[in-house]
Amino acid sequence: MAIQVEAPPAAEPRRRPEPRQLTRRERRQRRRPLLPALVFAIVLTQLPFVATLYYSTQRYNLLRPETRKFVGLSNYGRVFTDDLFRNAVLNTVKLTVTVVLLCALFGTALAVLLDKKFLGRSIVRTLLITPFLVMPAAAALVWKTSMLNPVFGIVNWVLSPFGAGQTDWTSRYPMTSIILVLTWQWTPFFMLIILAGLQSQSPEVLEAAKTDGATGGQTFRRVTMPHLRQFIELATVLGTIFILQTFDAIFMITQGGPGQATTNLPYFIYQQAFRAFNAGEAAAAGVITVVATIVFATFALRLVSGLFTTEVL
Amino acid sequence: MATVTYDQATRYYPGSDTPAVDRLDIQIRDGEFLVLVGPSGCGKSTSLRMLAGLEEVDEGAIRIGDRDVTKLAPRERDIAMVFQSYALYPHMTVAQNMGFALELAKVPKAERLERVRAAAKILDLEPYLGRKPKALSGGQRQRVAMGRAIVRQPQVFLMDEPLSNLDAKLRVSTRSQIAALQKRLNVTTVYVTHDQVEAMTMGDRVAVLKDGLLQQCDTPLNLYQRPANAFVAGFIGSPAMNIREFHLVDGHARIGAVDVALSRAEVAALSRQDARSVLLGFRPESVELVGPGAGFPVTVRLVEELGADAYLYGAIEGTPESGEPDLVARIDPAAPPRVGETVHVRVKAGKEHAFSPKTGLRLT
Repeated sequence: MAIQVEAPPAAEPRRRPEPRQLTRRERRQRRRPLLPALVFAIVLTQLPFVATLYYSTQRYNLLRPETRKFVGLSNYGRVFTDDLFRNAVLNTVKLTVTVVLLCALFGTALAVLLDKKFLGRSIVRTLLITPFLVMPAAAALVWKTSMLNPVFGIVNWVLSPFGAGQTDWTSRYPMTSIILVLTWQWTPFFMLIILAGLQSQSPEVLEAAKTDGATGGQTFRRVTMPHLRQFIELATVLGTIFILQTFDAIFMITQGGPGQATTNLPYFIYQQAFRAFNAGEAAAAGVITVVATIVFATFALRLVSGLFTTEVL
Repeated sequence: MATVTYDQATRYYPGSDTPAVDRLDIQIRDGEFLVLVGPSGCGKSTSLRMLAGLEEVDEGAIRIGDRDVTKLAPRERDIAMVFQSYALYPHMTVAQNMGFALELAKVPKAERLERVRAAAKILDLEPYLGRKPKALSGGQRQRVAMGRAIVRQPQVFLMDEPLSNLDAKLRVSTRSQIAALQKRLNVTTVYVTHDQVEAMTMGDRVAVLKDGLLQQCDTPLNLYQRPANAFVAGFIGSPAMNIREFHLVDGHARIGAVDVALSRAEVAALSRQDARSVLLGFRPESVELVGPGAGFPVTVRLVEELGADAYLYGAIEGTPESGEPDLVARIDPAAPPRVGETVHVRVKAGKEHAFSPKTGLRLT
């Protein structure tokens, strides 16, 4: 026998009540606590940038401030046709790409080693992070004087059994020297991010690969690397942004030389502003660098944004 | 397909002097479904991982068929494992997940696709072959993990609590599906669970472990009807068996003020051990309510009504007050007694289990 259940009388479907509109006054009051931080941020970051934009439209030699006048975009034209600027761009690309690639390589290798359990692992980890903690200027000074010095440098001493004489590294191989120092300094940063990636991998997934018949190498290539990819991408993007801005090491070790062999964009801007006292062109070069970095970072961050949206299984 | 033999297999974890698994001896027949069950920390997962090759065997041996696999790497053992977290490869699609082992084994692509499709069909996964694991529900992920095991056509399936991440309803239906699938494929299976209902319903035989020691390995019915010791008796069955120690008076167990007769063999075994008391166990359904004058009096503390059944929790009068109910009894739900009332109960004849108070072992 079928049982009839009488439908309840159709009621108005329940709606969530409209949220109460805030008055202007309330809205303003709610924002007020944020104001100091906003002002602080604007003063610290936006005012200097606006000032730089302004200077980039002026002919402005610091030694002859009385000749300052508005020249429109001609500073930009001069910068773009400047061989030294193009050289600096090329050096920056060469330096950044090489250092980032080497850091990614060494960082991955060291992270894989640190992911294993061994006696004294935490000490080794701390030691490996140290280069990142040393003040860049101090590190550069140590590299210049006690590591790469042609007469009493440690590098030549270590290489002496292999026939290296008194090589003057910083003048014969200036770019290689800078790359060496920066790689040493930035590898720990890459290593830490990639190590975090390795440790976030589920051990059961690795065990599953083992029982599925994968060798150690196959597990690394087919299971671990796809997992690490986004962490390596993140380290690469952040590392690129940082290494683009390198100044300390170049200032301390080579002063951009010999000639212009190691002048990168930040050092070029410094030369224009404080050696040539050409504040207008320096400001224009600075604006170009900032815009280029923003363009690069926007695209690159979009590339790695997968890291922030992927649900971790 | 093969037999599996644990031969005195022992595992010590580094830095621990007590073995996690102690001289485990089990022979598993070809095509058998064996369940390892026990409370957490009993060594059941370790035993399974030893068979998988994920955990070393410190002493003894493990054989699959006639092959000694004690020292072999997991990939050389021809086993497939289903993990509690499923451990799917997150960057691979369902099809790639299932085909990964075949790819590593260099199975030709056509055959690989064929086998993946066949497994997907069995598990109703065909519409999802192109999806990544994160786009699947928990139940679907669980089936992918099963699929990854069955496309391998391995000699042994190993399953480590594969149902514990599912909700209660799905767990019950998946439980019977896995059992049916295992019968159909007829692959030797070792299954780890802490849930005694899963153990009883799925296994051909169930091995109960505690503190790394095998307590009893037998069919579910035998475990229930003839538990080898007090631990197995208390572990198997829900609500648990009532087990209490009672004084021995003239070959009778004194429950409250009433003497309950023990069998001659039980009394003989107790006197050989020079015991003055006996561990007596009886299941909730082996207790019946009787009129005053018969049985022993029990004060009702709580009545649980489940519809089909009702359970009475009570204190046996005349025994020292322990605070905990002394006895659980299944009663007729039509006329449950009130809390605070005194009822008289009797253990149905021959339904009591007697264990040695010294060793916990079954007396007869």
